[in-house]
Amino acid sequence: MSESAKAGATGASRTYGAIVWGQLRKRPSAMVSLGVIVLLALVAILAPFIAGEVPIRWVENGRVSWPIFRYLSNGEYAAMLGFALVLLAPITVRLLRRRARLGGRSACGEISQSGRGRRAHRAGTGGWRWAFLAHLAIWVAVAISLVAWRDPERRYGFYLERAAQAESAWFPLVAYPQNPGYRELEFKEQPPSWEHPLGTGRLGDDVLLRILYGARTAMTIGFVAVGIGTAIGVVLGAMSGYFGGRTDLVLMRITEIFICVPGLILIIIALTVISAAWLPPLWTVVIVIGLTGWMWAYRLMRAELLRIRSEDYMTAARALGIPTWRLLLRHAVPNGMAPILVGATFGVAGAVFLEASLAFLGLVQTPSWGEMLNDGRQHLEYWWVWASAGGAIFLTVFVYNLLGEAIRDAIDPRLKI
Amino acid sequence: MKTYLAKRFLLVIPTLLGITLLTYALVRLAPGDPVEAMIRAQAGDINPRVFANEADAIRARLGLKNYNLWGKDPQKIDALEKVVNVFYGYGRWMSHMLRGDFGESMKYKTSDGRKSPPALFWERAGITIPLNLVAEVAIFVIAIPVGLAAARRRGGFFDQFSTIVLLGLYSVPTILAGTVLIGFLGRGGLGLEWFPVAGLHTSAAETMGWAAYVKDLLWHVALPIACMVYGGLAYLAKLGRASLLENLRADYVRTARAKGLPEGRVVYHHAFRNSLLPMITTMVMTLPGLIGGSVIVETIFSIHGMGLLMVGAAQARDLSVIVFGTLVYGALTLLSLVVGDILYAWADPRIRYE
Repeated sequence: MSESAKAGATGASRTYGAIVWGQLRKRPSAMVSLGVIVLLALVAILAPFIAGEVPIRWVENGRVSWPIFRYLSNGEYAAMLGFALVLLAPITVRLLRRRARLGGRSACGEISQSGRGRRAHRAGTGGWRWAFLAHLAIWVAVAISLVAWRDPERRYGFYLERAAQAESAWFPLVAYPQNPGYRELEFKEQPPSWEHPLGTGRLGDDVLLRILYGARTAMTIGFVAVGIGTAIGVVLGAMSGYFGGRTDLVLMRITEIFICVPGLILIIIALTVISAAWLPPLWTVVIVIGLTGWMWAYRLMRAELLRIRSEDYMTAARALGIPTWRLLLRHAVPNGMAPILVGATFGVAGAVFLEASLAFLGLVQTPSWGEMLNDGRQHLEYWWVWASAGGAIFLTVFVYNLLGEAIRDAIDPRLKI
Repeated sequence: MKTYLAKRFLLVIPTLLGITLLTYALVRLAPGDPVEAMIRAQAGDINPRVFANEADAIRARLGLKNYNLWGKDPQKIDALEKVVNVFYGYGRWMSHMLRGDFGESMKYKTSDGRKSPPALFWERAGITIPLNLVAEVAIFVIAIPVGLAAARRRGGFFDQFSTIVLLGLYSVPTILAGTVLIGFLGRGGLGLEWFPVAGLHTSAAETMGWAAYVKDLLWHVALPIACMVYGGLAYLAKLGRASLLENLRADYVRTARAKGLPEGRVVYHHAFRNSLLPMITTMVMTLPGLIGGSVIVETIFSIHGMGLLMVGAAQARDLSVIVFGTLVYGALTLLSLVVGDILYAWADPRIRYE
């Protein structure tokens, strides 16, 4: 067996993703922005541990309890686990891939020598499949146990009122209610101090706490709304670019229609149509932004597939008799994902902006940075409110734009000398 | 080229039909009743049943009435009937529109009391379009030298500095920029009180001479225009830098240098001219967006322009204004797309459309 065949069979040749990642690691701006994004996501997910009124550890009458773990909602647990698994994914994949390689080396060699490249290819990427299944199993198990175990009925203000009776209590850094009542009104409109690092707002609410919980809204809208939009755009764009002809003509017209309706107007009208009692306002916004913001992905994917369609490897794959869906899913679309990645990164920044604009126009009622900024704008003299909210939006958008630029520079060969 | 253009213009028709049908259907099918809301807003919180007949008359006049088609229970209109009614209403709107009747607004009036959407938009256009044109020109005038200077010394201090600053500017939300400008430069009570913060004129503007009038106007629009400029400026300067860099690496630039042309002529005469094209095309394509998209600035500075009209109409579900606005915006967008294509082909003879 020749060296090159061995390398191909064991997946040791560098994939496109690995090349881009290698380029990205050389850029300090990319690494810094990636770090800030991970930090923001952490803050968003762990917000109840940093700010809130539910203690982490509580000792009363000699009994030790951990109230926060009973207070967190299923969604919060799911987000925490999902994030942990995403962070651990590269390690898991590496471990699983090594095992697959060790176990299947001789078999792989034989297969590649007998000329069946597809099987060898599958052995190389098999790690991802196992990792995915393992992740899925953990998610399902955890979700089942959470629903069975947790006690979500927890009154607000319960622990803060009884803090004096506890022998020991570990509160979050900012021990303050998320929805302040009449008692907190006496703390209203205070400038930054040690108790309230970013000051307090009009209703006696802690600004830092609102910023931390606003990060959740921003991250949800950023990831989920852009995810929905990207998925729609990629699917339609791939169909349009690959099949061409009448499909392309019709899909192009549909895209043109969506481009030609002013975005904000479409969103306002769609908000009234989609808003339903059973859907929380945040998710309404997420769905509407996703459904109205897919055109960029469509255009990029279509252009990429027009190019990829006539590449040699596509002809080869077609000649092998691979079914069309597999051709698209495994060969065409993955090779066109690079510009989509750049677009999605910029898209997250755009979605955070858009949410801020919608909140500013009073169209959505979710606790968010845009809402805070609008709130603070009415009372300019309490500068800490609008400065914090504006600073948070700025930092998030800046970081995503920085990352987008870096990825584009890493991918676009024209800018590399 | 001619067949291409003919094809493009023919394809505009289904798109415009789709745009108007989409907005019309969405507004009509949204839950809730805009006419009832309008009556409540005008007559206070009354029982709408008292005004049932009047409301029906208004609905019929505005083309919003849902007709009972298969008449089991005249009070109940099922989902299928609603959809049929939407198409009926759309057809009615279309036939009226083709005769030049765009309906009437439920919420807005012009200063001389007309309610037709074209009159409303025409009045607002007199405010929005000059404002946006000034902003556009300012963007160009500032962005081009910045992009040029950054690209000429790639990786130098100015390049790195301007890249970071531009990216920063690009990431500042308009709401924050407006707030900061009002707070520190305007009469927001935090710092210098140089600029007014609302409207386009002082109350005494009617009695001024024209020079004082223009000065007053400029003084009022300085902050809104600054708000509109900074984002587009950053975007365009980045685009100009990338475009010029690409051209500076092109073969014809190497040829020009090899011929021994002076560096200034190579950059300005050869590379710069070619790199101007994508900038112009981008600006042409964003023009309709600018006209409709300055809602935030208009809200912050209380300028009653077209963006505010559209958003207000969308919130009040003022059907005729929304559909007319979308039609105009859609037509302008399509036109700018075609113009962009033509500009490309005109400036670059290698591009051919079949």
